[in-house]
Amino acid sequence: MELETVRMLSGTALQNLEAHRKRIDDLNVYPVPDGDTGTNLVLTLRSIVEALDASTAEGSAAVAKDLSRAALMGARGNSGVIFSQIARGFADVLGGSDDMSTPRLARAFRAASDAAYRAVKRPVEGTMLTVIREMAEEGERKKTRLLPPPEFLAAVLARGEDALARTPEMLDVLREAGVVDAGGAGLVEIVRGVALGAAGEPLPETPVESEALGFEAIHLELSQYRYCTVFVVEGEELDQVGLEAALERLGDSLLVVGDASALKVHVHTDDPGAALSSATAMGVIEGIEIANMHHQTTAREERLLDAAGSVSDSLPTLETGIVAVCPGQGNRRLFEGLGATRVIEGGQTMNPSAAEIVQAVEATPAAEVIVLPNNSNVILTAEQAAALASKPVRVIPSRSVQAGFAAMARYLPTLSSGENEAAMLEALDAVATGEVTIASRDAELDGIAIRKGGYLGLVDGTAVAADEDIDRVAIEVVERVLGGERGWLGILTGEDAPPLDALLAAVDRAHPEVEVEVHEGGQPHYPLLVVAE
Amino acid sequence: MNLTTENTAIVLDSVSDYPEAAARFPNMRFVPLYVRFGDETYRDYVELGPKEFYEKLRTATELPATSQPTPQDFLTAYEDLAAFERIYVLNVSSKVSGTYQSARLAAAELGGDKVRVIDTLTASLAIAMLSHAVQRRLARGTTDEEIDALVERFYESCGVVFTVETLEFLQRGGRIGRAAALAGTLLNLRPILGITDGVVVALAKVRGRQKALAEFQRRLEAATEDRPGLRVAVAHADADEWVGTLSKLVWEARPKAEIEFSASLGAVVGTHAGPGAVGFFWFQDE
Repeated sequence: MELETVRMLSGTALQNLEAHRKRIDDLNVYPVPDGDTGTNLVLTLRSIVEALDASTAEGSAAVAKDLSRAALMGARGNSGVIFSQIARGFADVLGGSDDMSTPRLARAFRAASDAAYRAVKRPVEGTMLTVIREMAEEGERKKTRLLPPPEFLAAVLARGEDALARTPEMLDVLREAGVVDAGGAGLVEIVRGVALGAAGEPLPETPVESEALGFEAIHLELSQYRYCTVFVVEGEELDQVGLEAALERLGDSLLVVGDASALKVHVHTDDPGAALSSATAMGVIEGIEIANMHHQTTAREERLLDAAGSVSDSLPTLETGIVAVCPGQGNRRLFEGLGATRVIEGGQTMNPSAAEIVQAVEATPAAEVIVLPNNSNVILTAEQAAALASKPVRVIPSRSVQAGFAAMARYLPTLSSGENEAAMLEALDAVATGEVTIASRDAELDGIAIRKGGYLGLVDGTAVAADEDIDRVAIEVVERVLGGERGWLGILTGEDAPPLDALLAAVDRAHPEVEVEVHEGGQPHYPLLVVAE
Repeated sequence: MNLTTENTAIVLDSVSDYPEAAARFPNMRFVPLYVRFGDETYRDYVELGPKEFYEKLRTATELPATSQPTPQDFLTAYEDLAAFERIYVLNVSSKVSGTYQSARLAAAELGGDKVRVIDTLTASLAIAMLSHAVQRRLARGTTDEEIDALVERFYESCGVVFTVETLEFLQRGGRIGRAAALAGTLLNLRPILGITDGVVVALAKVRGRQKALAEFQRRLEAATEDRPGLRVAVAHADADEWVGTLSKLVWEARPKAEIEFSASLGAVVGTHAGPGAVGFFWFQDE
């Protein structure tokens, strides 16, 4: 396996996947904005491509190692993590020699499938696992194994497409929603990109309306530059390509989107002035936002140092530090207020990569670290990061921000990570969680009829109420999480949260003894997150 | 030398919260620390009892501060005990107070090796329990070696669990590591505290009184066995409504335990724990 070949094929895989990203994101199986599988896979693949671009590996084994590591570090979301294992399975087999014959490719698909199944504790059929397994099975068929590589890949791909089409037969949630599995669809597009690349065939154009990645999404990518610079250029016949080329030299995480009359620009750079200058040459600039990305980190470090310098001699150093993943500025402050050493922005619509979590772990000034993923789609990534980090890491499987909040409240920096883990798991065990969200489509879920745009209430993941009136939904959710026995209620309000007066009055009337704690969480998509203990 | 109640005295500082010691036992003395409200300084218990202290605290515009006894205060006590051949001084943990230092300076001032100053590495009624353990041995006749061994065992098997209404008092007095305190302030959580190696440490955080009691019970059961000799002391800072609950908890968890003391924390301990602090100490004696 040669570096040039792997680079080329990863590139074509990424290009093809990008073209289908939006469609894959839309394959949500729940009527709530889910984990953005397409975006996660694109980000995962993109970091592989970037790492390979930077790689100087020579020889199959070294190339394979770089590929494996890049996939691991870049993995985002469950689909990204599973895909990273698929990539690793491939690399393990193909790294052994330069031989890229068909039987060897067949073995690589088998290794990829096995690795993917090993990555999940309870493999579910009707997912990308099924797709990779059937691809491997196709590759092992005598008839297929004798084909030359391009035709072999085409046959494997066709079988993958067929398996994907059958995923609704295997998973009820898919059938009910009338969609195929998003992760499986992503995998098919990746393999298609590889097959097209290997056959030297043309790839689909990336659609022009590529707000490629949300600005927020790209924000979270790691950057060596200091200033996050965002602005809009307005003018006539704006030269998007020229502007991109000019900005490319100044930094990274570059995004230039829009049309000939208005372009929105996002770039991480050390020289925001130069970025603005190159745009003012073309038109009028507006909406300038420049944020010092290092500022927050620096301020926090200073605060910690200051605290350490002024306390009594009996102060123990941090035994255990916390890395938490959560969306929303309010939730960030809440977790920091409770002692989290590093908070990574992310969650439902933006899953952080393993690399981001590893970096946060390494930057935490503690002997041991606990990671609170706060989203079911981030747990696997966090576990992957734990395996990659240089210090002991324990992942507390918090499946939501509000559950993580209850666990976080138990944190004591002076206790060992094992003691903290025990206290946090006990908290997770003791709580009930719920949320109010806005349905993204008409559906029937757990026997509840849901209208697109209406409010949907979930308790521990099960739909319990749907209504146009948020108070009705919220009150039902709160009743269920309190369950007549819990004495404490925590509420995290979202960025578009309604007034809580009616809800709080209802809780006070029905449960005067319950202690209620409200925090402005600021998370997107969920007007209310609630937790009771 | 055979040590008895006739020839051996015990000196406690007021952090032991055992002001009756001297009245109960002719060979005991009680040296008060100082509590200061603004410009007014009081001798703990002697000039300011717990009840008056908590009343004062409610109306005070300025929060109190404490200071250790002077070496002279200890020297006076030693001189008062001239008739005894041996003096054991049982002091509050040297990690949280300079009292031990004053007692040692006074012993050096007195000269000779009559005075033995013990850093108990704990506080409050735990020290009162230790004084009784020493006294029991003196009553049947003992030696310095046996008392040394007792103190070693006390370090091992004496424990405390308590909770406070707010960490503000412990923090302000610098009696708890700031890192431990940091995380407890934001939410309505009850810190469960203990004393380890002579300093106050946070053991857990729980939500609500019931959870606190469950945690107390769990810690007591983990640290002790139900057998005769187990002694417990229940302490509270102006919160005697807890005494019954805690005593019941102890009896139910450890039916063979003897509740040796049940008392209010004095002004000095109260200054650092704050009103509403409650908990209990245990010591497994033979």
